[in-house]
Amino acid sequence: MIAAAWFNLSFGDFCYSFMSILLEGIPFLLLGTIISGLIDQFLPAKLMTKFLPKNPIAAIFLGAAMGLVFPMCECGIVPVIRRLVSKGLPLSCAIAYMLAVPIVNPIVAVSTYVAFRGQGAAEMTTLRLLVGYSVAVIAACVISRIKMKHILRPEVIESFQKTSTANKSTATGAGLLGMPTRPTLGKGNMIGRLGGAMGVAVNDFLDVCFYFIIGASVAAVFNTGVNQEFLSTLAGNPALATFSMMGLAGILSLCSTSDAFIAATFVSFPAIAKLAFLVFGPMMDLKLVFIYSAMFKKRFVLGLAIGLFILIGVICIKLAFLQL
Amino acid sequence: MSTILSRILTSFVLMVWGTVLTWFYFSGKVQAYLHPTFQIYPAISGIILILMACVVLIFGFPECCNGENCAHTHGKLTFGRIFAFVILIFPIFVAASTSPGQFGATAVMNRGYVDNISQLPGAQKALAKQQPFVEPPLPGENPSTQPKPSDSDNYLPKNAKGQLTLQTIDLLYAAEEPSMRKDFENKEVELIGQFMPLKVKNPTGSRFNLIRMYIVCCAADARPVAINIQAPKGEDFKDMSWVKVVGKAEFPLEGGRHTPLIVASSIEKCDPPSDKFLY
Repeated sequence: MIAAAWFNLSFGDFCYSFMSILLEGIPFLLLGTIISGLIDQFLPAKLMTKFLPKNPIAAIFLGAAMGLVFPMCECGIVPVIRRLVSKGLPLSCAIAYMLAVPIVNPIVAVSTYVAFRGQGAAEMTTLRLLVGYSVAVIAACVISRIKMKHILRPEVIESFQKTSTANKSTATGAGLLGMPTRPTLGKGNMIGRLGGAMGVAVNDFLDVCFYFIIGASVAAVFNTGVNQEFLSTLAGNPALATFSMMGLAGILSLCSTSDAFIAATFVSFPAIAKLAFLVFGPMMDLKLVFIYSAMFKKRFVLGLAIGLFILIGVICIKLAFLQL
Repeated sequence: MSTILSRILTSFVLMVWGTVLTWFYFSGKVQAYLHPTFQIYPAISGIILILMACVVLIFGFPECCNGENCAHTHGKLTFGRIFAFVILIFPIFVAASTSPGQFGATAVMNRGYVDNISQLPGAQKALAKQQPFVEPPLPGENPSTQPKPSDSDNYLPKNAKGQLTLQTIDLLYAAEEPSMRKDFENKEVELIGQFMPLKVKNPTGSRFNLIRMYIVCCAADARPVAINIQAPKGEDFKDMSWVKVVGKAEFPLEGGRHTPLIVASSIEKCDPPSDKFLY
């Protein structure tokens, strides 16, 4: 009976929620894969390393702020960073960008400010950006000490090695359904390169879409099946409220451009719990677990999820004790 | 897997996705899933995917490969590409063909009713701005002939019978805002919404909830905005069926705050409105 109280699922509700997540997310996923294809064909590998600071920590700090110039939705970020890493962007720097970009970007800053007007909008927006940026930098600094083979899937490492070779000669790979991924960068005329970009985009789209579908279906199950009032009973305790709001963010899998409008409505929860919701959700939710799995090892994704959950929770609870 | 088969499968998947996305847009079904701001994006994506499908099918790619050279993750899944193909096609096909286009009672109950305007996104801002708009007088016009802000008859929408046509959300705002409350209180109003039985605070069993779903982005974030209806007799409509309620608006003090209540004179089944959501 307890299970029935907090979880009750209907197949029709699941299909409806699943379909709405797909309709909202697929355009952004496609945009990300098209950008990925264009990066593959038109961004010279040396350009990235030329503009990045030589110091890896400084590069992480810069990477986490790149969203201010290149805003990107969390749904489409994985194909982009996969391509950027293959072009020479350090993995830790790419992860800093991946974690920070759904929060540290002008669109999210404006939406957060608008959503929290009348509830300390300036403070909430500033804290969201600062905590999001700090968490991304801390996570990336920790990850920079881990070997790439423990982070990336073997197939992804293999594809990077092929790309590296491709920049010198030629190389191809196969996509989800066996289609080749890329002709050589910079070779051929403009139409040839655009064709190559499309090839990369198609395969990246299918690749990430596979995980997005699994993630969206899991998110739809929890999004419609979990009794959300059950969570509101935890609102009285700051620590429980913070962690339960992060759990809710993980379940709901909202888009970072609109999640502030939802968070602002949890009036019974303390501001710091809403902050945790706004920082954790864009970095790690049910659909992102599966999208990240397109590039990273499952064990790494699990570790990242737990690490982010604890780190963001601790930071927000500390902020609560500071009466912020 | 042969190159031809790979090309056909890839093209087929892209074509299915593109067709579903464009179909949802051009059939108008997308209105039941997304906020108007986002409705055009599936159409654009769908067209791009269909174009990609055609290019892949007709031209393929410059070079071919075999399974060993696969650079993407799914080429090496245990169940291989057929499994990936099924995952890419089957769920969207099932969801697109069976999705009811609105939430049922289970999801609404799980989300909990919004019966206080402060629980809605942007409500604080809207309430703060709640100043009646009065047009400045034209040159030569006597300002005293201008309609006064309290002259609700001049600006509130009405049906042919002269009843105010409102949304559930209007009444929640009015409950918190005295001047709005004055505009609606004891007036005949007409509302369209979805029927949900009221299982608490309903001693006589004659009340039910009339709800409309409020969305910010897509249906996945929809929240049911509910007001209480006092029916003349116990009503037994199907959960989440669309009904039209006509009755008198009241704002009794319940639990220390004004709560909107419609004392209904008539309740009848009706068709869903063209736009099912509140924004």
